[in-house]
Amino acid sequence: MTSRFELHQENLKKIFNPESVAIVGATKLKGTVPYDIVENILKSDFNGAVYPVSPREKHIASVKAYKYVIDIEDPVDLAIIVFPSAVAHMALEQCGQKGIKSVIIISAGYREIGEKGIEREAQIKEIAEKYDISFIGPNCLGVINTDPSVNLDASFARQMPDPGNIGFLSQSGALCTAVLDYARAKHIGFSKFISFGNKADISEIDLMFYLMKDEQTKVILLYLEEVSDGKALMNAAREVIAQSGKPILIIKSGRTSEGASAAASHTGSLAGSDEICDAAFEQAGILRCDNIEEMFNKAMAFAYQPPPRSNRVAIITNAGGPGVLTTDAAVKEGLEIARFSEETTKLLKRHLPSTANIKNPVDVIGDARADRYNAALTAITNDDAVDGIFVILTPQSMTNIDAIAEEIVKVAKETDKPIYTSFMGEADVASGIDILLRNKIPHYILPESMCKAFESDFRFHHKIKGHRFKPVKVEDVDKEAAAKVLEGALQSGRQVLEEDEAEIILGAYGLPVLKGGLAKSAEEAIEVAKRIGFPVAMKIMSDDIIHKFDTGGVILDVENEEAVGIKYQEILDNVKEKAPEAQIRGIWVTEMAHKGEEVILGIKRDAAFGPVIMFGLGGIFVEIFKDVKFRVAPLGETGAREMIESIKGHKLLAGARGKNPADTDSLVDCIYRLSQLAVDFPEIKELDVNPIIVYDEGNGCAVVDAKIMF
Amino acid sequence: MEKQEVQSRVKKVVSRVLKMDESEIADEANFIFDLGADSMQSLELVAGFEEEFDIEMDQDKALEIQSIDGAVEFIEVYL
Repeated sequence: MTSRFELHQENLKKIFNPESVAIVGATKLKGTVPYDIVENILKSDFNGAVYPVSPREKHIASVKAYKYVIDIEDPVDLAIIVFPSAVAHMALEQCGQKGIKSVIIISAGYREIGEKGIEREAQIKEIAEKYDISFIGPNCLGVINTDPSVNLDASFARQMPDPGNIGFLSQSGALCTAVLDYARAKHIGFSKFISFGNKADISEIDLMFYLMKDEQTKVILLYLEEVSDGKALMNAAREVIAQSGKPILIIKSGRTSEGASAAASHTGSLAGSDEICDAAFEQAGILRCDNIEEMFNKAMAFAYQPPPRSNRVAIITNAGGPGVLTTDAAVKEGLEIARFSEETTKLLKRHLPSTANIKNPVDVIGDARADRYNAALTAITNDDAVDGIFVILTPQSMTNIDAIAEEIVKVAKETDKPIYTSFMGEADVASGIDILLRNKIPHYILPESMCKAFESDFRFHHKIKGHRFKPVKVEDVDKEAAAKVLEGALQSGRQVLEEDEAEIILGAYGLPVLKGGLAKSAEEAIEVAKRIGFPVAMKIMSDDIIHKFDTGGVILDVENEEAVGIKYQEILDNVKEKAPEAQIRGIWVTEMAHKGEEVILGIKRDAAFGPVIMFGLGGIFVEIFKDVKFRVAPLGETGAREMIESIKGHKLLAGARGKNPADTDSLVDCIYRLSQLAVDFPEIKELDVNPIIVYDEGNGCAVVDAKIMF
Repeated sequence: MEKQEVQSRVKKVVSRVLKMDESEIADEANFIFDLGADSMQSLELVAGFEEEFDIEMDQDKALEIQSIDGAVEFIEVYL
């Protein structure tokens, strides 16, 4: 049986390459969506037949109209439904009867309006499944395919964009129109332009896979308002990147921290949904952008220029200040300022005036005209030590801006190295920028944006594209033992597991828990202490007490049997005074951990991405600086290590200020094991291991306190 | 009032508002999908029914009526 995914891939072919299109619900009223779509298709010089379908009109825009789609004598590849949502299902039903498999539903009035709309959306999905129809929408702007052999503008956008190599997908239709206008001003072309609206049937994932195989598309851009299935999106991105090597740039709007404050654990309060989204995208190799400008800055680099061989850049400028600014920005982005070969230095010396700076950044001096830019560019592009070139221009009285732009275009055509430009200013440089952009030379208003775009290009081609995700499966775990504790707690109606039970679960998964036991009397406490050895720590165990220290429920470094007996009663008295209503399960007696570096590990379950693992340094690093890192489970080999290495305080673990390096291998092992636990037990909503103490290299680590919420 | 009379008068209103011959209007015809009514005409239809039958209908519910049959059923409640 064909899956919906396979069906969508097949039916998408006719959404983008139809030989005949019916606009169902068309009207004659100019300035309305139904009319504008008919007009756009006709204006776009569509290479196929067009059939307006309208209950009352005999013809629309000089094209014969049909009362019903089933009245059309010839086969129809694509139907675009523009009827109001109240009757769009009737049109879809007729499409099914007519044998049309590819549909775009433009109409609004679905999920976005509430209950009634949700019912309508369910109804059209049911019809689509009945007839094996795939549809884009509802509540969308439509679809554009600029391929000259198709030329389809099945949208109500104002203008069809130029052909290009960028595939753009958007959940917001209104944003699409703004993007088209923005792109037109910059001569940015698109291969496919798709507004997918409520994504009730065909989703962004289906479209990403379609664009993966689309020959015209070199880079995929996606504007997303909600992630419905984060795991599926991550897997799709990984596959698209691995199979096609095409970069995926996403703007995910809605960066809110709502909900985080209500969380009961450390991990919960630190992991807002946006931080998790950031982490997930990074893991999947998706380049997340904050805004449209950043997205297109980077997209231009990917779509227009060859990938850089490495990160060594040369800067050519006609002014010192901008050269320094660019150098600073490049270094900040982790790029290397290339060292020219002797041959290049000789050439620069020969062609540039004696006052010019022939070292990188090369200053061709304020009076430089096109010939000087050409000489510098030609020499530098031929240098093997250079992987990319940044050309800066400031408009001075003698600067022939357009001619310089033409020279850059000429050199760019003859080299396989990426050339990026920044003509600084606005009015005077406008015509030069126009020449650059028309000729697909990336241009940036700010040198900083130029460096960021190059860095993304470099990072994608050298660090992301070739990376293969291999999750680690930990085998030596006792899943049954962990399940037994969880089941017991579930049956008793509790939602929090404290240290005693949490440590049994963590121990079953091979995390290094301290020896300990639950005592329900002073005598039992002494027995446990004798068994594990002195000194010991004693902690109150009660589901009703969250902050044990605040209630006097924790006493550390208890040295002998007599002290254990006394402290047992002392803890009970403290708690009775500060939390008289609390139900006490006993006192957890545990060995004292040696001093080491405190870190925190955690699990949180995200609605879109599933289990998420958190790692950070303990104490003030987590409380004040929130220096933590998230990763979606399961983790790959590099993922766990990257978590440790990417926190700001990593140097403390690596052995800063005369300290010995910490046992990060042991930490990596703990992260894998926690990841496995999170995957095996979806009922665990949140988990904190706070702190886990990590010792010097080779000496492992120890779980000191843990809490599980489910 | 007999159902048939209600139906005949509903068709008369629809014919006047949508400027169609009554013979083109089937009993089960949908105002939008079959007869091509736009949103303004849908409002005019509601006003037309109220005037024709001298009744005052719940505006929101009335706008949900989509067909001749539906209109007849809806109006009968008010008579």
